[in-house]
Amino acid sequence: MDTGSHLPKTGMIGELSETRYWIYLLLLPSLVIILLVIAYPTIYGMAISFREMRLTRPGLTGWVGFKHYIVMIDDPVFWVALKNTVLWVTFAVVLELGLGFIAATALNRNVPGTGIFAVLILVPYFLPNVVAGHMWALLLDPRLGVINDVLVRIGILSSYKAWFADPNTALAATIFVEAWHGFPFFALLLLAGLKGIPYDLYRAAAVDGAGPIAQFRLITVPMLKSVIAAAVILRVISLVNSPDLLLILTGGGPGDATQVLSLYAFQTAYKDFNFGYASALSVVMFVILMVFAYAYIRLSKIGQE
Amino acid sequence: MAATRRSRRMAADILTYFVLVSMSLFCIGPIVWMFLTSLKLEADIVTQTMQYIPNRITFQNYVAIWTQSSFPVLIGNSLIVTLITIVVCLATGTLAAYAFSRYTFRGRNALMLGYLVVRMFPAVMMIIPLYVVLRSVGLIDSRIGLALAYTSFLLPLFVWMLKGFFDAAPKELESAARIDGSTRFGAMLWIVIPLARNGLVASSVFIAIAAWNEFLFALMLTTGQGSRTWPVGLQLMVGEFQLPWGVLAAGGILSILPVMLMFALVQRVMVQGLTAGAIKG
Repeated sequence: MDTGSHLPKTGMIGELSETRYWIYLLLLPSLVIILLVIAYPTIYGMAISFREMRLTRPGLTGWVGFKHYIVMIDDPVFWVALKNTVLWVTFAVVLELGLGFIAATALNRNVPGTGIFAVLILVPYFLPNVVAGHMWALLLDPRLGVINDVLVRIGILSSYKAWFADPNTALAATIFVEAWHGFPFFALLLLAGLKGIPYDLYRAAAVDGAGPIAQFRLITVPMLKSVIAAAVILRVISLVNSPDLLLILTGGGPGDATQVLSLYAFQTAYKDFNFGYASALSVVMFVILMVFAYAYIRLSKIGQE
Repeated sequence: MAATRRSRRMAADILTYFVLVSMSLFCIGPIVWMFLTSLKLEADIVTQTMQYIPNRITFQNYVAIWTQSSFPVLIGNSLIVTLITIVVCLATGTLAAYAFSRYTFRGRNALMLGYLVVRMFPAVMMIIPLYVVLRSVGLIDSRIGLALAYTSFLLPLFVWMLKGFFDAAPKELESAARIDGSTRFGAMLWIVIPLARNGLVASSVFIAIAAWNEFLFALMLTTGQGSRTWPVGLQLMVGEFQLPWGVLAAGGILSILPVMLMFALVQRVMVQGLTAGAIKG
């Protein structure tokens, strides 16, 4: 009942909220949506991976058991994509972690103007993939790319280079672009981690005669370990998951030089409309991702509060 | 002794500024170059000698993308899809975030874990069945269908971010209102939600930016003018018409303007929310 309260009356919902059904009323709307757009599609998607489903050939349908998974074992593109996924994710994460750590350390010194620098350093993370992709395609263009021009001027290159068309540099170039796009995420999380380290620890260490390097090794790294691990796992998951930049920059080429699992699965669905095989590929990705998800949950102790 | 300490401090400050300035240039430089390109005539972009500062400034690239392509329609579609996504997240996610933040109930931890893990599912694994399902109910190439697909990964994210902000809102005022005779619903609506309004705005903006930028789902789930969003439209223009660089750059600048605006408005609160949501415990 609303009697006596100074707040506006809330009518029937207000009365309902005093019953034991309140909690279910709060949870129901989002649960319905989650079941509809996540749970059902997920189960359905796994089922498709055991079926034949090609939109280009409607007659071809029915259960095929593990056929797609057996085909996958003999599919050379799958293995190349798997290898590239490992390379792409590993090098991108290492680069991003390094850049992010340098940025976070500099930002944590709180020199005047830090606020502005923090905003500028965050910007790439919010830039749409489509814009980031074409922007870097322009910067690295073999005919009119400004980076080629600068590198030739300072004598590192003798002539303009087609970074994305050369199988030897394509993967490295896309990793570089991905690192530009993703390193602010690490800067953000590591900065939060650094701010959580009590300053007294450093003061006490300095009194005991520890120099900057010893302080870094004995205080910063151990205190940041869980933040670093959490950030790395989250980033690995999102990198395995999102083929956007590769789709825009190279489309997996030249040849299969930049083909990764997520892109291969997407193209199998989008270009060939072979939903059965694409689903099987994404189920394999799902299994890989869930290993990292499990590690993240164990690490962050979510669900044990 | 004091002098060496002061000079060491100064050296560290100089090094800090050097790192911050070069990192900022690394982050912003490419965007500035895109902006300069959007102001150049095509003849000045495709030249023998690189023009670092444009010789002539023109706005014709902006006029071209806005009047000679379907760009306004694409932007309109993106706006509507983004708005629907936010409304759905706000209406349903706020309640769930509040429940997770204030009540303990059976299955709470398992449910919260579920909301976390579904975000980590492969996008392609969701896109294929969503395509089949949406097609069978006539929601392919529909802005509502695309917004619904977006909630599959943005609603869980929204709930987790907002729960963090609700957790941070003091519980005393709420208890006082309850003692005062307010219903639970009244206390939530008139006390807790206003207290967490910064968090609501920040979480909504984060969702809005993600929906505005999204490319992969939109590429698969939109097939025509009716619902195509700007990232898909821009990408297809590049492929179909050999879009001139200047026009493409102008389109890029126009489409990131809303993102930059929203980011600037709420970056401080949003940064708090992001970090609080990502590293717990």
